[in-house]
Amino acid sequence: MKSMLHCNYLVGVLGALLGAMIMRAASAFPMAFTQNGPGPGFWPFSLGAALWFAAALLLVYSVTHKAELKEQEVSLTTAANKRVYILMAMVVVFCVLINLLGFYAAGLLLIPAIMVLMDYKNKIGLAVTAVGTMLFIFVVFALILGTKLPESIFLG
Amino acid sequence: MTDILTALQMVLVPLNLMGLVFGVLVGIAFGCMPGLSVNMGLALLFPVAFSFHGIGGILMLLGIYCGAIYGGSISAILLKTPGTPASVATTLDGYPMATTLRQPGRALGLSTMASTFGGVFSTICLILLAPQLAKVALQFSKPEYFALAIFGLSIITSVSSGSVIKGIMGGLLGLFLATVGIDDMSGTIRFTLDTTYFLGGVSFIPVLIGVFAFAQVLSSVETYYHQKAVEQSMSIDSSLPSWADIKRVMITLVRSSCIGTFIGCVPGTGGDIASFVSYDQAKRWSKHSENFGKGEPEGIVASEAGNNSVSGGAFIPVLTLGIPGDGATAIMMGALMVQGLQPGPLLFVQKAPDVYAIFIGLLLANIVMGIMGFSLIKLFVKVVSVPIHILLPIIVMMTFVGTYSYNNSMNDVYLMVFSGFVGYFLNKLGFSMSAVIIGIILGSMAEQNFVGSLIMSDGSFSVFFTRPLCLFFLAAAALSLLSPFLGKLFKRA
Repeated sequence: MKSMLHCNYLVGVLGALLGAMIMRAASAFPMAFTQNGPGPGFWPFSLGAALWFAAALLLVYSVTHKAELKEQEVSLTTAANKRVYILMAMVVVFCVLINLLGFYAAGLLLIPAIMVLMDYKNKIGLAVTAVGTMLFIFVVFALILGTKLPESIFLG
Repeated sequence: MTDILTALQMVLVPLNLMGLVFGVLVGIAFGCMPGLSVNMGLALLFPVAFSFHGIGGILMLLGIYCGAIYGGSISAILLKTPGTPASVATTLDGYPMATTLRQPGRALGLSTMASTFGGVFSTICLILLAPQLAKVALQFSKPEYFALAIFGLSIITSVSSGSVIKGIMGGLLGLFLATVGIDDMSGTIRFTLDTTYFLGGVSFIPVLIGVFAFAQVLSSVETYYHQKAVEQSMSIDSSLPSWADIKRVMITLVRSSCIGTFIGCVPGTGGDIASFVSYDQAKRWSKHSENFGKGEPEGIVASEAGNNSVSGGAFIPVLTLGIPGDGATAIMMGALMVQGLQPGPLLFVQKAPDVYAIFIGLLLANIVMGIMGFSLIKLFVKVVSVPIHILLPIIVMMTFVGTYSYNNSMNDVYLMVFSGFVGYFLNKLGFSMSAVIIGIILGSMAEQNFVGSLIMSDGSFSVFFTRPLCLFFLAAAALSLLSPFLGKLFKRA
């Protein structure tokens, strides 16, 4: 568990950094007013400045409301969060597998993996859900809507 | 009249009608399953909707929108777990009526009747009011549109987010993302990270599916950690409300529908606020106020008529001014834009048949919703019981297929996954994802009208402060942003 105060400090600093980066990137474009209006850098530069200002305001607000924000907890390291992080890692692996094995084969691996992650262990249930879902996707998207989902690089 | 007939022809095409009915069915299913949401249903089915040509996709999304708001009441009544935030107030009397009074059919029937009445009532208000407001809005010029975009964004960030400052940061992030790609005014290529992928801007649909569907799946995995599915074993006999019940709730029905429609018109509010305000007013005016919280029919009707009547009201600012009131209407507005329909007063002049088709579609969606609610309630009661460990992997797969199928692009898939990861953490930190999405949608309108206004005034910013309507919207924006701080100051004083 982290307190919202710590999170706000982090968000404030990251927001200010992002705002500064946007201003820096926007300043590479013309900003002066011409007959076509302000240059293309003016609007994003203003947004960057506003973001920087809002982030600074968040930091000031956090400093002045320490007690209140310390009581608000943000769960980031609980067992439930770790399960989410594992799912995120599985999804990243799935993205790689889509290219290697193709969408359908990778999907047949991801669905039972998520179910096991969520404490479901019945092998028949795992198989039926995985095959049923992929069959549904094949019928609706491939056959009816004509979407060609990614295939394995080995088949290409 | 010709426009209305053309619109009828557009809606009554069998494929379009099928899309609408399918949308309502899917919407109710999404609404009634806890852990899923209106926004998730709309985002997931967004790419599929455009397999229907022309207005068909819009009709399908309208069906999902109406169905999902109503569907939330089913799990609220049977499981005391509202499928959507808009149905929280329904649990107060719906669940006691279903369990303590052992009348689940009566509770579901009242909820279906109220939802249908509220939806139809607000759609009629939309049909009557929107063209009038559009006539007024036709007189707006670029400074007013810029002020309107800022007003829309400000009121949403101040109401929908837990923290106003984070709401503003989210809105600014959305506005910045809208600047990526080729600038419409100057043709300059901006912030594309030297990739051709971003030349057309940040693709709206992957971000939408990422923050509203994929991030929601991640949150659900966390929420349902070691939580066993709640079993419900109620038998539903008849769900048609009795004449005595109809007489008893009629005034509440009309009052709550008026409240919901009005609240729906205000950007940044939504079904949850409408249902609680309606419930509170029903309790205040009821002859049976002591029964509220114990299974009072008026309580169920107030909440459900209130939240469903938001649907028509919320379309008034979307169609007439191009200002979406919440995440769901932002998605609907995005859908209109993808179909080449730019919401705003000109839509009523240039694409009148399409506007009437939307009106008719919304009306039909609510009627179909009522018919399905009364006839298929036993099916939806079964849907409520689908275990989350089966549901979530299916939704994960749908996020991938939906994203990929829109453009046949794996880059879109990577963007969706990235948006989902970021959305999950931003949600935890108290950011409003609706503010980010509305920022993206309004970004182009805000910048173009900002630049256009300055061209009109030869670079003088006074153009924003010397036009009464523009000044009014900007002052209202400032007031809405400062209202939480001003409220605290007044309390201290």
